[in-house]
Amino acid sequence: MTKAIVTPLTQALAEGKLTREELKSFMQRSDAPSLRRLAVWVLILTITTTLVALAWDSWLIWPAMFVQGIVLVHHFSIQHECVHYTVFRTRWLNDLVGQICGLIIILPHRFFRYEHCDHHTHTQINGEDPELIPMPKSLGEYLYYISAIPYWRGKFTEIFRHASGRLSEVELRFIPKVEHAAVYRDARWMLGIYGLIFIAMAVTGWWGLVWYWIIPLFLGEPVMRFVRMTEHVGRPTVPQMSENTRTNLVSAPWAFLCWNMNYHAEHHYVASVPYHALPRLHEKLKDHIHVEPDGYFGAHREIIRQLFKKTEAVGK
Amino acid sequence: MSKNMKHRWHDVIELTALENNWVTRVELGSRKLAIYDTPSGVYASLALCNHGGADLCDGYFDGHVIECPLHQGAFDVRDGKPVSAPATRPMRTFESRVENGMVQVKLKA
Repeated sequence: MTKAIVTPLTQALAEGKLTREELKSFMQRSDAPSLRRLAVWVLILTITTTLVALAWDSWLIWPAMFVQGIVLVHHFSIQHECVHYTVFRTRWLNDLVGQICGLIIILPHRFFRYEHCDHHTHTQINGEDPELIPMPKSLGEYLYYISAIPYWRGKFTEIFRHASGRLSEVELRFIPKVEHAAVYRDARWMLGIYGLIFIAMAVTGWWGLVWYWIIPLFLGEPVMRFVRMTEHVGRPTVPQMSENTRTNLVSAPWAFLCWNMNYHAEHHYVASVPYHALPRLHEKLKDHIHVEPDGYFGAHREIIRQLFKKTEAVGK
Repeated sequence: MSKNMKHRWHDVIELTALENNWVTRVELGSRKLAIYDTPSGVYASLALCNHGGADLCDGYFDGHVIECPLHQGAFDVRDGKPVSAPATRPMRTFESRVENGMVQVKLKA
């Protein structure tokens, strides 16, 4: 028989932080708001792509590609929301949009889904949370992580490992056996699609996608690393959701780009709540979670403060 | 539980007490059950998700699909079939009916 576990949500309901009626209203989903939001998203992408085209013959192409990259890497936020089936009420639309986003940022959707589920089970627990970003031990480590070099190294190793029909020991823990073949197939398909795109570019002699997509993606990823660090890094490595996760109050453009995932503690409390209801859930839970009022930069100031404190303690 | 025990109908909750178009938690002895009010009638299953053990009664329910609140794995409540990862095994469902305004579930006595 399945063993019952106490989720943060069960606890929040039991402690009266949230009523069942409120929970039901927060969880409601629909397709229309996200389709509208995606239309705005495509418009923004069109604008940033146009900026790259306009800057083609000048040095300005580099800042233009960086801006394009910032938008591109935030396809992670859409994919993440799709993993939770909270973007659309129609379930297959979440799968479709999640797959497309995964293709843009080189992150197979099915694999990410399993990995992310495990992250929600073992949030911020050393040795168990597969997405845990360790607290850097030095400024060098901090900057190295933000460079995204270790991230890409890990991702490329991962996708080639899966394409060659292998899973790491950690992955074997969270991917059920019946899904192994599908994970291998996804990685092969993904590499196959990228291969075809490159062959098509070589045949036609038009390498535009390298400048509109590939280089911007790598230029933008440090921004995503900077954002991802603010969710848990520097918070205690304990199971209590009220402690191990940080909510960052950010400006409207950042919140739009990350699909309100700055309300990260609220998301971990009730992952079934769609992005658009997270600000309302924040109002209910804000006194029970860790909130960083100064946003992403405030979170990084805190991380760096802790980092120097540790370095000083080691030096003494 | 003895193998010879026969299945029989048990009253679990009044029909009017069910949450409309949603999932309602009930207890029958030591068993925690989820009762679903759907467009095609009332269905029943074990309340705990067979993937991670979270309480399905706190999850999102839409039509005939119940979604686990922890990982959003989902099941069709009519036959227990998994419809979204990480749910891969069917959930345990029970025959159910409404008799004289009372929801009844058929399981071993």
